[in-house]
Amino acid sequence: MVALVISLALFFDFTNGFHDTANAMATPIATGAIKPKTAVALAAVLNLVGAFLSTEVAKTVSGGIIKEGSDGVQITPDIIFAGLMGAILWNMITWLKGLPSSSSHALFGGLIGAAIAGIGIHAINFESILQKIILPAVFAPVIAGGVAYLCTRLAYALTARHDPETGDKLTQKRGGFRTGQVFTSSLVALAHGTNDAQKTMGIITLVLISAGLQPAGSGPEWWVITACAFAIAIGTYSGGWRIIRTMGSGLTEVKPAQGFAAETSTATAILASSHLGFALSTTQVASGSVVGSGMGRRGTTVRWGTAGRIAIGWLFTLPAAGIMGALTALLVQTGVVGVIIAATAGTAAVAYMFVRSRKSPVGSNNAVEIEEVGQAVQFRKKKSATKSIKNGGAQR
Amino acid sequence: MKWLELFSVASATLVSAVTVVVLYSLGVRLTAIAGDTRTSPAAWTRPLAYTCFALCGAAILFGLYLIIPYFHK
Repeated sequence: MVALVISLALFFDFTNGFHDTANAMATPIATGAIKPKTAVALAAVLNLVGAFLSTEVAKTVSGGIIKEGSDGVQITPDIIFAGLMGAILWNMITWLKGLPSSSSHALFGGLIGAAIAGIGIHAINFESILQKIILPAVFAPVIAGGVAYLCTRLAYALTARHDPETGDKLTQKRGGFRTGQVFTSSLVALAHGTNDAQKTMGIITLVLISAGLQPAGSGPEWWVITACAFAIAIGTYSGGWRIIRTMGSGLTEVKPAQGFAAETSTATAILASSHLGFALSTTQVASGSVVGSGMGRRGTTVRWGTAGRIAIGWLFTLPAAGIMGALTALLVQTGVVGVIIAATAGTAAVAYMFVRSRKSPVGSNNAVEIEEVGQAVQFRKKKSATKSIKNGGAQR
Repeated sequence: MKWLELFSVASATLVSAVTVVVLYSLGVRLTAIAGDTRTSPAAWTRPLAYTCFALCGAAILFGLYLIIPYFHK
């Protein structure tokens, strides 16, 4: 069981990686600041480095959402197994749909469902759910979106160049923002590595401790750190191109200055939230920033249909992952056969979704159509248009 | 409920993001002015642009300082 939970945790780490590549790299890819392949490689390296930087183990698996610990309930590897299963399945579903959704909320949802089914409703701390999941989910996009809106407005106002005599528009020369995007998005990727890989390390270490394989209160073993770091880095490198497409071009068209404003808002919001004690989800912050920056730039529209689908995805994250976690927990309770059934069904579901995804592949080549600057615009646009026709229905 | 924390996160995000974006935009704008060929730009534009970018660089370094736990334990 312990081995099963560890492998599942590592796979969750992997899905977490490819789910969240978009947070850091969707806008620089969309504006052409970094080439798609380079961008995911950069994000992967930064995630890898980030994972080694911070190896502090959380005291609880669920961060207080389940009443665990000495005066509460005991979280068993069974519950963690079921919770991870729910989280992974939800991550795969949202990835297939190209929806950015928070991996940690999926994990919380899975654990809550598993705990309700496996222990009972009394195991859940509802106040904690409100405070750590529901309120942040409302405020993250609002804060990030508002700040990104303002920043985009400012960036465009400050760089708008008009001829003082005729009032004609001069060449705006906003290409410099691309360089800035590289740095801000790298910060987001690094922060992601330090936060998210650590969660998986914490889970594995807690499982090892509860199984008596490691003394209580000790830090993660070196192989746990290495495995988690590589799992998240490989996940990041494989690139959630579907989600990158949604964030980079599905929500709104992103231009360099706007992308820089969005990425800066994302980076500052994440850093502020992780140091001032009000945790916000990276995914929700990043999506909010993109929408906010889209509202801030004149001559662009935000596709509210897509934004709405993402919001609905967030609403469903907790219950959906919870139900899958609960079902897994019920199966696991029946004994060894149940565990085998659950593991097989989970693997089959993941494999099925992977096969489904191959039917309309989204890769680095067609995730985002990049507009080149300057004179080549007309020519390039036509070229990419014909390309997309050749690809047929694969594009949309 | 942690309203105070929420408020401080929101305001810190606002202040720092706006500062960085304004500085960087000024840098971009001044570089553009300094690169103008039709009119001869003032001599101070380019150094000032570089100062703006340097301040943004400092902000990035501060971000790194915050991310890496080794520095503030």
